[in-house]
Amino acid sequence: MKTKTKDIKIYCDITRCVGCKSCEIACAIEHSKSKNIFAAVKETPLPKRRVETQNIGSKIISLHCQHCEDAPCVKACMSGALSKDEKTRATIHDKEKCVGCWMCVMVCPFGAIIRDAESHIAVKCDLCPDRDDPSTGSGLRYACVAACPTDALFAGTKEEFEKNLSKKKGNSKH
Amino acid sequence: MNYVIIGGSAAGVTAAETIRKNDKKAVITLISDETFPLYSRCLLTYLIAGSIDESKLCFRDKDFYKENNIKTYLGKKAVSIDRKKKSVSLEGGTKVPYDKLLIATGATPKTENIPGVNKKRVFTIRRIDDARAIIKILDNVNKAAVLGGGLIGLRDAYALRQKNKEVTVVVKSQQVLSQMVDADAARIIATLLEKNGIKIMTGAAAKEILGKDTAEGILTDGGKRLDCQLVIIGKGVNPNTQLASAAAIKVEEGIVVDEFLKTSDKDIFAAGDVAQTYDVARDAKRINALWPSAVEQGQIAGLNMLGKNVSYEGSLSMNSVDFFGLASISMGVTKPKEEGYEIISRIRKNEYKKIVLKENRIVGMVLVGDVGSAGVISILIRNKIDVSSIKGKLLDERFDYAKIMPLVKKFKDKFRQEEYQDTIMTF
Ligand SMILES: Cc1cc2nc3c(=O)[nH]c(=O)nc-3n(C[C@H](O)[C@H](O)[C@H](O)COP(=O)(O)OP(=O)(O)OC[C@H]3O[C@@H](n4cnc5c(N)ncnc54)[C@H](O)[C@@H]3O)c2cc1C
Repeated sequence: MKTKTKDIKIYCDITRCVGCKSCEIACAIEHSKSKNIFAAVKETPLPKRRVETQNIGSKIISLHCQHCEDAPCVKACMSGALSKDEKTRATIHDKEKCVGCWMCVMVCPFGAIIRDAESHIAVKCDLCPDRDDPSTGSGLRYACVAACPTDALFAGTKEEFEKNLSKKKGNSKH
Repeated sequence: MNYVIIGGSAAGVTAAETIRKNDKKAVITLISDETFPLYSRCLLTYLIAGSIDESKLCFRDKDFYKENNIKTYLGKKAVSIDRKKKSVSLEGGTKVPYDKLLIATGATPKTENIPGVNKKRVFTIRRIDDARAIIKILDNVNKAAVLGGGLIGLRDAYALRQKNKEVTVVVKSQQVLSQMVDADAARIIATLLEKNGIKIMTGAAAKEILGKDTAEGILTDGGKRLDCQLVIIGKGVNPNTQLASAAAIKVEEGIVVDEFLKTSDKDIFAAGDVAQTYDVARDAKRINALWPSAVEQGQIAGLNMLGKNVSYEGSLSMNSVDFFGLASISMGVTKPKEEGYEIISRIRKNEYKKIVLKENRIVGMVLVGDVGSAGVISILIRNKIDVSSIKGKLLDERFDYAKIMPLVKKFKDKFRQEEYQDTIMTF
């Protein structure tokens, strides 16, 4: 089980990301009512993705909320909707309290908080609460990681990610 | 250690929380002259507009003070500080001794110096009591006048319009938001407001508020009479520095603090709307009377009251508004007055972008419509990054975090937080 703790987060291996947007689609479906792609596209409001593939030159990164330890969005949130979860250290957003003032959008250095024009509230990575099942293995715990076909997305500690990187490097040499 | 905090809002509450997180044994006392605890005053126009109710006003749990073992004096005004005896006197005579004191007394709205401002139904909006009083009479109001076309004035007008009132905003300058945006951007916003029924009178000021005891209208300097049953003055704020100056603590525009948010008295700190701090974009001392600055300063002041010696990087003027679905965000220097600035801008229908640079560093921005890149630009301003290499991309629709990753890599010492480093591990 790789539920978010202070040390566990989702990393993107930029050398492997091809920008296929599987993470974006999986994220949107995970945050739909039906959790089914065919039904999700017909829902109103349309389910929103919270992860985005962004490119810089030929390189691509799948980027989402970094759940900053000293989170600028939490400090800027004037309604109390954004806060840090004491246990998991995740940055959580309470839809009920959000008034759509976009103070968080204004200060998030990663641009990871999305303005949902339809519901007029902020939308961000919530670490897939509906998949918070202890029986779900590491990669499967998060919709984006589970959907990544190139193994670019990885959930775990930094050390695990680094180890995984060198392992993959080793593999590609052979 | 005995910590005392005057003011129970963004700065005061964050300081109390920070102290408690780091010191379970500290004695913390918080004094506020308001009785409604833990509400965010930024939400008051939302309350007036009816988009939220009072139960949604709080920015912390109801039990915050209890859970954090913070002793409170609510509805009690601090009337003086005795620096020799190290104690704060409250109205009624109670004396609260301190080892370290935080002044987080915030600000009070500016008012107009014209005849009639003391009449009934003339308001400023700062406290829950103001909002409640306005809500109470709202059923008997058809027409309202808002004095001031800055951010606060427009917010007030927007709230009243959502309640279907006929609102006229009286603006001294030739455009709305004159401190924040130029005429082109102001036109986009003003046009939308007018399309949605808010009248805007530019180049005009109220000369007098008419009516017997109760406001019945305003008279403009052009001699025009506007009937209304409610007048709201929405013009910015003055810091509540009286306590500090009476105790001979150094005050200029606001309470003067050093990089540790310490005042001229080594045991007294100041944070929030009352404190005059370093402004990152302007490279000068300034009050940025903003919620995020108050929270940040409360956190830093709390840490330094604990003796942790954390310096404050400085504040940045910024704001975000959304009127009828049109978002606008501005930050830093948006209308440079002197030479030496470079401006890149682009205007489209219902969309405006402007970036202000000085020596290849971004010092300000205005985004209207498409505001998605605001946060990424904000960190470039904050960290004073040389953006020569990406200047051509700044106004792009897809100007996102990835575009600054080469800079994050190049200026590692400025993007020190682990979160940045995590993103470039494989880049
Ligand atoms: C309607 C409205 C909308 C706003 N919108 C935004 C926005 O969108 N974005 C933004 O960044 N900011 C906004 N602000 C500004 C923001 O609310 C302030 O910057 C912030 O509240 C400052 O916090 P503070 O803790 O410094 O002071 P304050 O919030 O002013 O709190 C100070 C507290 O101290 C109390 N106090 C003062 N003197 C004494 C005394 N002698 N004894 C006891 N208690 C005392 C006061 O009564 C008050 O409760 C808005 C403000 C208003 C009123």
